[in-house]
Parts: sequence; structure tokens; C-alpha cells
Amino acid sequence: MKNTTLIKGSAAIALGAALLLGGGGTLANWNAAATQTPGTIVAGDLNVVNGAGVWKDRLGVDITAKIANNTYHVVPGDLLTFTQDLNVTLVGDKMAATIATSGISATNGFTAANNVVVSAPVLTVGGSAVSNPLHPTGSTQTVTSTITFEFKATTAGRADVSATYNFNNVGFTLTQVNTANDGLS
Amino acid sequence: MRIPRMLRAGALIAAAVVLGLLAVQGTYALWNAGTSTAPGTVTSASFDVALTASPSGQASNMSLSGGTAATINLVQSATITPGTSVYASVAAANNSNAGGTFNTTVTVDQATLANVNGGSLAQYLTVSAKNVATAAECSTLTGYATLTSAGLTSASVPKAASTVLCFQVSMSSTAPVSVKGQAVNISLPITARQLCGVPSGCA
Repeated sequence: MKNTTLIKGSAAIALGAALLLGGGGTLANWNAAATQTPGTIVAGDLNVVNGAGVWKDRLGVDITAKIANNTYHVVPGDLLTFTQDLNVTLVGDKMAATIATSGISATNGFTAANNVVVSAPVLTVGGSAVSNPLHPTGSTQTVTSTITFEFKATTAGRADVSATYNFNNVGFTLTQVNTANDGLS
Repeated sequence: MRIPRMLRAGALIAAAVVLGLLAVQGTYALWNAGTSTAPGTVTSASFDVALTASPSGQASNMSLSGGTAATINLVQSATITPGTSVYASVAAANNSNAGGTFNTTVTVDQATLANVNGGSLAQYLTVSAKNVATAAECSTLTGYATLTSAGLTSASVPKAASTVLCFQVSMSSTAPVSVKGQAVNISLPITARQLCGVPSGCA
């Protein structure tokens, strides 16, 4: 009986080996392989950085340096204009973005008697009001922010002599937005 | 099986919060960039007009601290006789630190003559004035005109320049002897005004 068990075990091993040989036989059949190169996915870009900021007086004279070193002093009747270029980069087939200003966070040392009028920043592209959203154009776009500062000629007496108006910071944000049927989530 | 009202309300709030968070997350998932600029500080100019009197030699800014008007004596005292004149002048310098063009004019209004101690000398005195470039020209007797209510306005005085107002006080040759020894205080209101130094700056 013991031998019978041994014989059965040997037979099972032999059958397994035979099956393995059969598997080896599969390698002998035809086979083929191929590879694919789906390509590289490149992300777009969205950025806004400051360009040149220029101060001019009513006559169009550049007074940027004088404002910077506090040697230009305004008098009633002065109208100053500050233009700040914003270089906008938009890259992406479905890219769209809106640009906006968060306004002026000024420290106004002039009296509240309406002797000074400061406009909110106005955004333009090529001289026309900006039309949001902006789309990629293939190159950097220039958005211009314009602020005017008028010291009114109606200022009476010696009101607001040696006063200061500190613009502090003027903020700008560029935010990607979805457009209709753009397929973006 | 009825769901308690509290439980339903809680579930509703939770659903709303989840939806809200998802919506907010969606917004932040899109790109955004920002920048800011600092345009700087705009400072207004001073409006300083310095006065120098002659022959008294007194000097003062036209406006004192606090904005009050200064008083300056041109002549401490002078003796005048019928048919003669005495002279004085004041130089006004535009010392503004304006960044651009800043021209001013100086105007002297009609004089106010006040008799001292109840005298009557004032009615025999005439105050005339003229505007010149230098005090030395005040001694030239031509060009004086009687100060009327219209006053006398100087030529334009640019920044860092000055002008001179000359005054002539004449005593009538018909003044009676009774005014002998009497005194008169003469006040001359002087005002400096900004001219429109910038196009369309002054309506």
C-alpha cells in the first residue's frame, strides 16, 4: 500500500511536469508587441507682473522721479496722472481670466473739503476699457491702470499747504475663469 | 418611519455646508495671480511769500504759523510837510516749493488812514503806489498812481522771484497849520494770490 501511494505521487509529479512542458510549447507560437507614445502634456500659464509706472503732470511732463523723491509739490490746479502697466501672461487652449483691481489703500492727509479728487484705477488695453475675460493672444498682454490726482483750483486760502497723500498700495488680481462650454470643471 | 425634524434640519445644513465647500474649492482650483504697485506719495506745496519792508528793514512771512496774517511796519516814523512826500516800499518774494510752475501776484488794496489822538491830518494825505522790480526804483518819482478801491496788483511773480511795491504818501500843500504835529497810522492790506500756473487749472 505504501508503494501505491508513492506511485500515485510520482504520477502526479510527472503529470505536472508534462503540463509545464505543454506551457513551454505555447512560447513557440507567434506573438507580437507594440508601444505607443501619447506625447507630452504641457501646462499653460497665468501671471501678472508690474511693468513701468509713470507719473505725469497736466502738460504730459514725466515727473516720476520727482514723485519718488518727494521733490514734486502739487498746488491748486495741478492734475497728475499715474499709469501702471501690467504685463499679463495667459497660456492655455481653454484659458480665460479676468483682471481686476482691489483699489487704492491710501492715507489721505488732505482735508475732507473736496480739495482733492482721486480717481479709482481704470484698466485699459490699448486705450480701450478692458473687456473681461482676457484670452491668450500668443504673447504678453499689456493692461494699463490709470489713476488721476487732481488738486482742485477752487481750493481757497492756504488750505492744504504741505499736505500729503500716500497712495500706499494699489492691488491687481488676475483670476482664471470658466467660460461657457469650455469643458473645464 | 418618520425622521425627526431636528435630524432632517441637521442633514439639510450638512448638505448645504458640503455643497458650499465644494463650490469654494472649485473656485480656488482655478489659477490666480496678483500684483500690487506703490505709486508713492503726493505732497502739496508750501505757499510762502516773504515780505521785506523798507526803510524799516523789517521782514516776515506774509502768513504766520497757524495761517494768521502778519503785520509788518514799512516806516516806523517819518516827518512830512505840506507839498512834500515820504516813501516806503515792501518787497514780496515767492518762496513756494511748488513742483511745477507757480506764479503769484501781490495786490495792495486801498489804504486806510487813521488819525491819532483825534487829529485831522488824514484828509490832507494821499497814498499812491507803483509796482517795480527793485526797491531802488521807488525813488524814481514817475509811475506812482493814487491807490483807489481797485488797489494795485503786481506783475506776475514766478517761483523764487520777487517784486516790489512802492508807496508814496503826499501831503497837500493846502494843509492848515492846525495839523502840525499830528500823526496818522496808514494801513495797507496786502494779499498774494496764486495765478493759474497750469493750463486749464483755474476756471
